[in-house]
Amino acid sequence: MTSLVWAGGFPCSKHKRCNGTERDARVMVWDQLPLPSRIRSALQRTHLKSVREVLSLPAVDVQRLTGLAQPEVHQLLTVAAAVCRRHAPLTVLQLQRGECRRCESGLRLSVSCPVLDGLLRGGLPVGGITELSGPSGAGKTQLALQISLSVQYPVEHGGLGAGALYICTEDSFPIRRLQQMISEQAILRSEVPPSVISGLHFSDHVYIEHAADLDSLQVCLSRRAPVLLAAGLVRLIVVDSVAALFRSEFQTEDWLERNKQLLTFSTMLHQLSQEFTTPVLCINQVMDVLKDDDSLGPLSSSVTPALGLAWANQVMMRLMMLRHQTTVSRGDQSSTLRRLEVVFAPHLARSKRDVGVWREGVRGVPVLE
Amino acid sequence: MTVELETANNHGGGEAVTALELLQREKECGSITTFSSQLDRALKGGLPVGKVTEICGAPGVGKTQLCLQLSVDVQVPLSFGGLEGQVIFMDTEGSFVLQRVGDVAAAVVRHFSLVAEDGEQKDAMQTFDMESILSNIFLVRCHDYVELLAELHLLPDFLRDQPRVRLLVIDSVAFPFRQQLDDLSLRTRLLQGLAQQLVSIATRHNIAVVITNQMTTRLQDSQSHLVPALGEIWGHASTTRILLQWEGSRQVAAIVKSPCCMDTAVQYHITSEGFRDVNQPENSDQPEIPLTERRSL
Repeated sequence: MTSLVWAGGFPCSKHKRCNGTERDARVMVWDQLPLPSRIRSALQRTHLKSVREVLSLPAVDVQRLTGLAQPEVHQLLTVAAAVCRRHAPLTVLQLQRGECRRCESGLRLSVSCPVLDGLLRGGLPVGGITELSGPSGAGKTQLALQISLSVQYPVEHGGLGAGALYICTEDSFPIRRLQQMISEQAILRSEVPPSVISGLHFSDHVYIEHAADLDSLQVCLSRRAPVLLAAGLVRLIVVDSVAALFRSEFQTEDWLERNKQLLTFSTMLHQLSQEFTTPVLCINQVMDVLKDDDSLGPLSSSVTPALGLAWANQVMMRLMMLRHQTTVSRGDQSSTLRRLEVVFAPHLARSKRDVGVWREGVRGVPVLE
Repeated sequence: MTVELETANNHGGGEAVTALELLQREKECGSITTFSSQLDRALKGGLPVGKVTEICGAPGVGKTQLCLQLSVDVQVPLSFGGLEGQVIFMDTEGSFVLQRVGDVAAAVVRHFSLVAEDGEQKDAMQTFDMESILSNIFLVRCHDYVELLAELHLLPDFLRDQPRVRLLVIDSVAFPFRQQLDDLSLRTRLLQGLAQQLVSIATRHNIAVVITNQMTTRLQDSQSHLVPALGEIWGHASTTRILLQWEGSRQVAAIVKSPCCMDTAVQYHITSEGFRDVNQPENSDQPEIPLTERRSL
């Protein structure tokens, strides 16, 4: 199991817990548990150090290690389970009323365009991995840059009031384009009071990291990211792109090893996303669809996201951006038309919107009735 | 029947029952509608209470959607032929989204408001509304397999306090067990224990247990096949296995393992209202597709 450096060790003002008491279930002194002394001494004779270790073994193994009778093992497991549990089951009605701050609250990160927010029913969900795939030149990085700015707005304007960690794995970070987008924010977000926009120092809050290989990516996610997240400086992680690292480092025969690494990587992203209620956006490349392969559903194009089923199983929301032949113009600008498509998401229908890429950013073309 | 007897005796808590008594109990158990009449028919009524049913499929095909539909359908009032039960939804992937549950619940309430006939049904609709539906779904969020195992340890006590629960959903079992467990033999043993726990919960508390599973690729004869994840041994955990898959632009639910239903497949689709039949005006006399041409898993 990948052990993360930050496990339970960072104090954080943004880190809210439901019940106030915080227990680190990874290390537990047996004296603190309400158990009879017979069970406690049996535990102390074993190598088991924490409630998590006790629970991650089959009951039969625990019985064998401790030499306790079955009812005592059952009692031990029940007490251990109660410690591990974060809170008692809540009803969905209680959730909807906001009675649990850490749970699914329906919070979304706006993408700074009302048409695209409409497509996504609010924006990016704050838990789980969102994937944005597409051919090169489709505009994925454009949208990712835009979201790295929209996250910085206060919650009442669709943001999360914090910055973005942008991890580049391919080319160098497009700093000039980011500066251009920053200078045009007042045009893109004309509904936000100018005083709010000028008060946000956008470039200070985009933390750029370059990860040229898997090892440096691992270091970034296990050390740098938790520090930024725990300090509340960042509430969006962008990886641009996932495909670059996993496709280049492995030969085709090594797909088992590649899948293992993919799983380790996505597990880290999930843990960060859950622990800090942070949206994660992964940009992915595409490959040509194999003939007769409809396992992942019908696609409106001849390309499918790279990295296969192993990666697809880790993604909660899958979006695809495709380029079209036609152009669209607005004022003195013209743009090649793109289409942003929802391939799957637990709360969205398969739908799409036409999109243009402008000086001020990515904007959906309003749907005409 | 014999398997259930052995399980009951091994746990040391049940008394011996005759096969006839078990048969009678099974008839009384009931089932949960899927809101797709074709799938209900193929399952001989719906998802069976007292049994473990597994739903497998590739990402995005509709496993979570079917689980959300069942979580609302289990609550349908008795006067409409429903179970009027509660549900515990164990979410391991974070795919339980409030907005979507709201859509599905609203559609079910609308449907039954329209079909309510007699006084008893109209009375039932007074209390069968969005708020009551949301208040009968218990959500448990598990971030890894240890938390999932912990919640299952605590489940029997919870069920004793909440006797109206008729459905347990775990969406998905595959996700946490494939993430941090490198030791495959440990994983197999934990899954075996989990499978026994689920059967025990289903039978002792008279609950329908629904688990979802991912798909994985298996190389056989230098060709790759899509098979349910978690290995061969896990295949024995459930009584019934439903495979959701794409066939071109169609979505098909195939019953690939069942003690009582023939291998059949029906077409479905996910609408804004939830899991539904596909309307087939011309071919309505042959909605089920026999599975003879399909490759076996």
